[in-house]
Amino acid sequence: MEQLLSNLGLGFSVALSLTNLWYCFIGVLLGTLIGVLPGIGPLATIAMLLPVTFTLSPTSALIMLAGIYYGAQYGGSTTAILVNLPGETSSAITMLDGYQMARQGRAGPALGIAAIGSFLAGSAATLLIAVAAPPLAEVALKFGPAEYFSLMVLGLVGAVVLAHGSVVKAVAMVILGLLLGLIGTDVNSGVARFTFGVPELSDGLGFVAIAMGTFGYAEIILNLEQGEHREVFTAKVGKLLPSMDEFIYCVPSIIRATILGSALGILPGGGALLGSFGAYAVEKKLTKDREPFGKGNIRGVAGPEAGNNAAAQTSFIPMLTLGIPSNAIMAMMIGAMMIQGIAPGPQVMTQKPDLFWGMIASMWVGNLMLVILNLPLIGMWIKLLTVPYRILYPAILLFCTIGVYSVQNSAFDSILTALFGLFGYICVKTESEPAPMLLGYILGPLMEENLRRAMLLSRGDPTVFFQRPISAVMLVLAILLLIVITLPFLQKKRDEVFTESDQ
Amino acid sequence: MAQPYPVKPIRFVVPYPPGGPLDLMGRLIGQKLTDAWMQPVLVENRTGAGGNIGADMVAKSAPDGYTLLMGAVATHAINPSLYSRISYDPFKDFVAVALVAQVPNILVVNPLVPASNVRELIALAKAKPGGLNFGSGSTGSTGHLAGELFNTMAGVRMTHIPYKGGAPAMQDLLGGQVQLMFDNLANSLPQVKAGKLRALAVTTDKRSPFVPDIPTVEESGVPGFDLTTWFGVFVSAGTPRELVVRLNTEVVRILALSDVRQRLEEMGAAPIANNTPENFSAFVRREYDKYAKVVKDSGAKAD
Repeated sequence: MEQLLSNLGLGFSVALSLTNLWYCFIGVLLGTLIGVLPGIGPLATIAMLLPVTFTLSPTSALIMLAGIYYGAQYGGSTTAILVNLPGETSSAITMLDGYQMARQGRAGPALGIAAIGSFLAGSAATLLIAVAAPPLAEVALKFGPAEYFSLMVLGLVGAVVLAHGSVVKAVAMVILGLLLGLIGTDVNSGVARFTFGVPELSDGLGFVAIAMGTFGYAEIILNLEQGEHREVFTAKVGKLLPSMDEFIYCVPSIIRATILGSALGILPGGGALLGSFGAYAVEKKLTKDREPFGKGNIRGVAGPEAGNNAAAQTSFIPMLTLGIPSNAIMAMMIGAMMIQGIAPGPQVMTQKPDLFWGMIASMWVGNLMLVILNLPLIGMWIKLLTVPYRILYPAILLFCTIGVYSVQNSAFDSILTALFGLFGYICVKTESEPAPMLLGYILGPLMEENLRRAMLLSRGDPTVFFQRPISAVMLVLAILLLIVITLPFLQKKRDEVFTESDQ
Repeated sequence: MAQPYPVKPIRFVVPYPPGGPLDLMGRLIGQKLTDAWMQPVLVENRTGAGGNIGADMVAKSAPDGYTLLMGAVATHAINPSLYSRISYDPFKDFVAVALVAQVPNILVVNPLVPASNVRELIALAKAKPGGLNFGSGSTGSTGHLAGELFNTMAGVRMTHIPYKGGAPAMQDLLGGQVQLMFDNLANSLPQVKAGKLRALAVTTDKRSPFVPDIPTVEESGVPGFDLTTWFGVFVSAGTPRELVVRLNTEVVRILALSDVRQRLEEMGAAPIANNTPENFSAFVRREYDKYAKVVKDSGAKAD
C-alpha cells in the first residue's frame, strides 16, 4: 500500500510537470476533436502523430498518445448524441438513447452524464491499473515463448468469439490477417516470404498503412456515399447537467459498466467497442423502469459511455506490463515506445518507473481535463460539424497520406494505404469486420515467431506447451472458448446479444 | 578547378529506424555539419531489409557528395555474404569516407548460469552439448555471428535463438529462457550493473577502456577472437576525390569534439587513430572477408 502511494506520488509528480500537463492537454483536446469528427478515429490520428513524437521525451509522447485514445471516447459521444452519427465506433451504441434524449430537449443531461460517467469509470480504471498492473508484471517474466504462443492463441480465439456479426466472416478475416502477416522476412531463417522481389515488402506490410487504409480511408468513402443531410440540435442543448435524481438513477449503471468494461478491456481483442456494447446489453436487460431503452433512457447513455472509457483504459494493462497489444491502438502505442528506444515489456515498469507511473497518473489528470474541457466546448464542436465535407475530407486525406509517407519515407506505403482504403470499403459493403483481420495481422507473426522459438528451445518437443502451467491454462481456456462458440445453444445467445444491441 | 561545396542541402541516409545508436550519431554529425557548412544536412531514415534499402539508395545516387550514407557492419560486411541477392556491391558502388565508431559486443549470461568466466562457460557447453541457447536481435546480426564464431573457435555447440530486435531477446535473457547473449555493450551494461546479468567478456581483442575489469574472450582461452560492431560514412562510387577528403576531414574533426566524444564513450567507442578514407576502406575489406568466412561456416542465410 505504501509502495503504491509512493509510486502514485512519483506518477503525479511526472504527470503534473508543466511539459507533461501540456502534452496531456494537447492529447485530450485532439482526441476530443477527432472523436467529435465522424470517420476520423484515434487509430489514424495516433498513426499520423507517430513521427511527431520522435522529438518528444518518451513519457510526454505516450501521455499525449494515450490522451488521444481516451479523449476520443469522450468526443465520440458528443456527435452521437447531437447528430446521431457515431463520432467513434464505440459511441455507436450511445446514439440509440442519446439522440432520442436530444430530440426531447434533454441533450444537456445526456452530454453531462456521458462526461460524468466516463470520468467516474476512467478514475476507477486508473486505480485498477495502479493496483493490479504490478502483480501482473511479476507473472510476466515467467512468460517465455511457450506462454506467449498460448496467450496469442487465446487472444485470437477470443477475438472471433467476441466479434459481432457472422462467425464465419470473423474467422475468414482473422485468417486473411494471418496471411498478410506472413509477408516479409522470416525471423528464424531470414528467408523472404511473399515479397515478389519487392524490397519494400521485405520487412512486411506497414501496419500504419493497413490500419489507416481499412479504417480511415474506408470510412471517409462511406461517409461521402451518404451525402450531406445532417440534422443538428444546436438550439436545444438546454441545461448542461443531469438532475440529482437522474444522477443517482445512473450510479448503479456506471458501476456495473465500469466493472464489465474493465474486464473486457484487459482481454486480448477487447477494447472500447466491446466495453460499450457489452454495457448496453447488460443495462438493457437489468433496467425495467422509466423510459424503455431506445426511447431516451439516460442509463442507455451512462452505461456504454462508462463502459467504453473503462475498457479504453484497462486495455493499457497488457500493453504496459507485458508489451502485448490488446487492440490496434495499443499496437500503435507499442510502436511509439519502440520508436523511442523503449523495449515494451515487463521491464518498462521497473526500468522506467517515471514513464510507467507518470502515464497512469496522467490518465486520471487527463480524465479530469476532459470533464472541464468537454462541457464548455460543446458549442464549438457543433460549429466544426458544419464544415462541409468537400473541404473537410480532402484535407483529412491529405494529412493521412503525408502521415503514412513519413513513417518510413516511402511512397510505397502511401499507395498501399490507398489500396487498403478500397479494401476496407469492400469489407464494410460485405459486412466483414476489418478489426479481426488487423488482430490476425498483429498476432499472427508474433504467434509464429513464438511457436518456432518455443520449439527451438524445447529442441522440437511439442508437449512443452502443456508442460508449462501458465501455457497449459491458457490453451485450455482457448479450447473452452472454442467449445462455447460451437455449441448451438450458446451460439444463439451470442447472436441475440449482438442483434439486440445493433438495432 | 574545384566546384564550391556544398551549395545545396545534403541528404544523410540512415538505413535504420530513428532512435538507435546509429541514428543518434547520424543526427549529431548531421547537426555539426549543418553548423559548419551553413547548409542543411538532413537525416533521412530509409529502413528495411537489414539496411539494404537505404544502402541501395545511396549506391544509386549521383556521385556529387550530396547524398551520404551511414553504413554499418551489416550493410557493408555481413549482408553481402548473408543475402544471396543484393542490389549493390559494397566496394564497387561506394567510396568509404570515415569510420564513425567501433564498439565491442559483450558476452552476458543470465545469473543462474553456473559459469563466472568464459572458461567455465566453455566447460559447461562441452558437458552438455546443445544445452545452451544464445539469443540475438536478428539472424545475421553481430550478436548472432559472434555466437557462431564462438561455437567454431571454442569447439562448442550452442543453439542460436533469433528474435525480432534486441529488446525481446533481452527480455528472454532476463527471464532465463535463453542463457546468454553477445549484446551491444551500451545495451547490456545497465543490466549488468543492476545485477540482472553477469558479464563474462568483451568481444574485442583488447579490453575496453570503459569497462577495464571485464576480460576479453581472446584472453579467456579463445585466441584470435575479435569482433566489433561499427558504422561509418560512405558516398557513392565516382565521387570526386577532393570531396571525399573534405568530408573525411570534417567528420574526423566532428568526432573529436568534446560533446560528440562523450556520446561515443557512452556507447563504449574508443577514439580512432589514422581515420583516413584509405584506412577505412581497407578496414571494410578485412571485415568483409572475416564475415564471409563466418557466414559460410555457420551456414546462415537470408532472403
